[in-house]
Amino acid sequence: MVKITVDGREIEVANDTMLLPALIEAGIHVPHYCWHPKLSIDGSCRMCQVEVEGSPKLVIACNTPVREGMVVRTDSPRVINARRGVMELLLVNHPIDCPICDKAGECLLQDYSYNFGTRKSRTDEPRRKLEKRKDIGPRMILDQERCILCRRCVRFCREITKTNELAVFNMGDRSVLDVLPDAPLANDYSMNTADICPVGALETKDFHHKLRVWFLKKTPSVCPSCSNGCNITIQHYRNQIWRLMPRRNDAVNDTWMCDQGRLQYAFAHDANRLRLPMVRRGNTLEPCGWDAAVKHVSDALRATAKKGGAERIALLASAHFTNEELYLLTQLVKVLGLRHVAVPLVTGSGDAFLIQPEKAANFTGARELGLVAHDGGRDFTAILELARSGQLDALYVCGSDMTKLVEPTLWQAALRAVPTVIVQDLFAEPLGQFAHVLLPSLSWAEKSGTFTNRKRRVQQIQRALEPPQGQPSDGEIFAEILGQLAEGHWTFHPAEIFEQIGKEFPAFAGLSLASLGLLGAELAP
Amino acid sequence: MATRTVTVQRPAAMDAPRGVVRSGVAVLKGMWIASRHFWRNLWGFMRGKPTVFTVQYPEERLPQPPAFRGMPVLVQMDNGKERCVACGLCEWACPTDCITIYPAETADEIERFPQVFDIDMSRCMFCGLCEEACPEEAIVMSHNVEIAAFSRRGTVWHKEDLLVPVRELERTRFRHIRKTYERSTEP
Repeated sequence: MVKITVDGREIEVANDTMLLPALIEAGIHVPHYCWHPKLSIDGSCRMCQVEVEGSPKLVIACNTPVREGMVVRTDSPRVINARRGVMELLLVNHPIDCPICDKAGECLLQDYSYNFGTRKSRTDEPRRKLEKRKDIGPRMILDQERCILCRRCVRFCREITKTNELAVFNMGDRSVLDVLPDAPLANDYSMNTADICPVGALETKDFHHKLRVWFLKKTPSVCPSCSNGCNITIQHYRNQIWRLMPRRNDAVNDTWMCDQGRLQYAFAHDANRLRLPMVRRGNTLEPCGWDAAVKHVSDALRATAKKGGAERIALLASAHFTNEELYLLTQLVKVLGLRHVAVPLVTGSGDAFLIQPEKAANFTGARELGLVAHDGGRDFTAILELARSGQLDALYVCGSDMTKLVEPTLWQAALRAVPTVIVQDLFAEPLGQFAHVLLPSLSWAEKSGTFTNRKRRVQQIQRALEPPQGQPSDGEIFAEILGQLAEGHWTFHPAEIFEQIGKEFPAFAGLSLASLGLLGAELAP
Repeated sequence: MATRTVTVQRPAAMDAPRGVVRSGVAVLKGMWIASRHFWRNLWGFMRGKPTVFTVQYPEERLPQPPAFRGMPVLVQMDNGKERCVACGLCEWACPTDCITIYPAETADEIERFPQVFDIDMSRCMFCGLCEEACPEEAIVMSHNVEIAAFSRRGTVWHKEDLLVPVRELERTRFRHIRKTYERSTEP
């Protein structure tokens, strides 16, 4: 640690850092565009200039190492004048089309212009005309006029994805950000360039002209698309998700997330979502009340268990459930004495960076809670085989992942052969036509709880969207069913259940929702 | 219950016959005044110069001063399109949340336009903050106050209902708001 003096205040900082991160760490804000905590230093924007005693000129804080006894001024007239000069030059060619720019409201050029800029432009010359709305990739568009040439995106493509699509072409005042004609910005992480762009030059097509950012409410959560568990912020408004943005967590995803995960949110607010429980009467499914549906399920399970024994009931849990919901499922397994339990898991392609082949957020949680390899149980294709050969009287299916894993004829034949099929899913398709009881499930954006990622890190998700009034969460459905089948009082409060998990599973011992915080914690080995 | 009697002393003037004469005179006086106005107005109307202040609304309307704030309207440019670019600042500034905008993209030079622009007039309080917030001079307060409707749904005005040609607003409202908000030129 070294001691430096900033604006007359003595602070202690790590001795191997640059000045700018040290100042940010100490809570002193120095404006900057090109510096990013996860990218190399470029020093191109000149916005972070500060005065260091002993140095004849102003120095850029992002590329000046700290040393013992350094005396720094971040608010002297010289510094403020330099910033104003930088701002004025950056704005010389900026189109100032803030009213139609998606970045407006979270734009650093806007913010610093308010704080440090001059209010009036002194130029009469026409502004540089460049390409606007340029289609540079399947998910990105570029506005060259807005670009301030900080080169964060160029460094991102060079250092993080190592694909080198973006580059600054030409020199001097003719510099322009562009892609090569035959190499579009199409890598799996391309939309991160819109996040790190300090202005509105790079925008995602997904959010282009959708909503002004100041209307968005932000709820910290975890990406549900794969087992990596990237930390995200769900940005929602009018009970609809408008975009997902990565949230910094150095242990999981730094400040990035993949495009695939970022674009998978529309299902959560889909108008075709299943919202009312249904019970089959004859050939049709008819909506019924929640109490009646739960009673139907528990009666069916109880009667089957009594008649044919737990041998003739199978449970296919979902790897998309939270730890708390899966815990209640373990209790259901215990109460009924089930032996056929499995968790279908969709697998796909992965890469060496963030994208994992396991396409579900909480398969690890299911494994930790003992649902995956239950005593005497079989994997899910074996359960389908049992069903098809008529050895099951009741089948409780959560989620429709299994339909993506085996041939339609196989799972359809299996479901047709079972007298009582209970389906709990987000949509009536594809399993609804085989269900005898259909229970609506809640998406990850509508519930609170925890996910365990592939590195056994437990992270919190929080409710962003409000489900329709009266629709219980999956955990509440399980608690209701348990209340019908077992002694005792069953309720579903994620914090309490999480505490209970900590008592029963040594790996979770000592953890609480409060101690997880926003960044999560790893399970005990 | 014991009865208590109070004798009321009537004033002498109210007694007949002098009182009858006096009240008769008062009635005639009133009739004279009323009929004088009636004949004078009738004469005035016949000559085309009425002497009363009554305005025969809705056939007759008084001109409003430029600062008068009626319902907000959208400025329609000469090409028939709205000037609004759906930036959402009025939606944000609105204290009663009566504005709803859904932006969309076009191939025009101004690439953004409001696909939906609804104002719930039953919630609008004519404060004019939308007009002040607008960077494009695209929403202005008009002189129209006729926003009554037969249903709640009818109080929601859509984009097509709100458009007013720019020529109609140029002389009245624009001059006023440029002065009020110290804008030197049009945006």
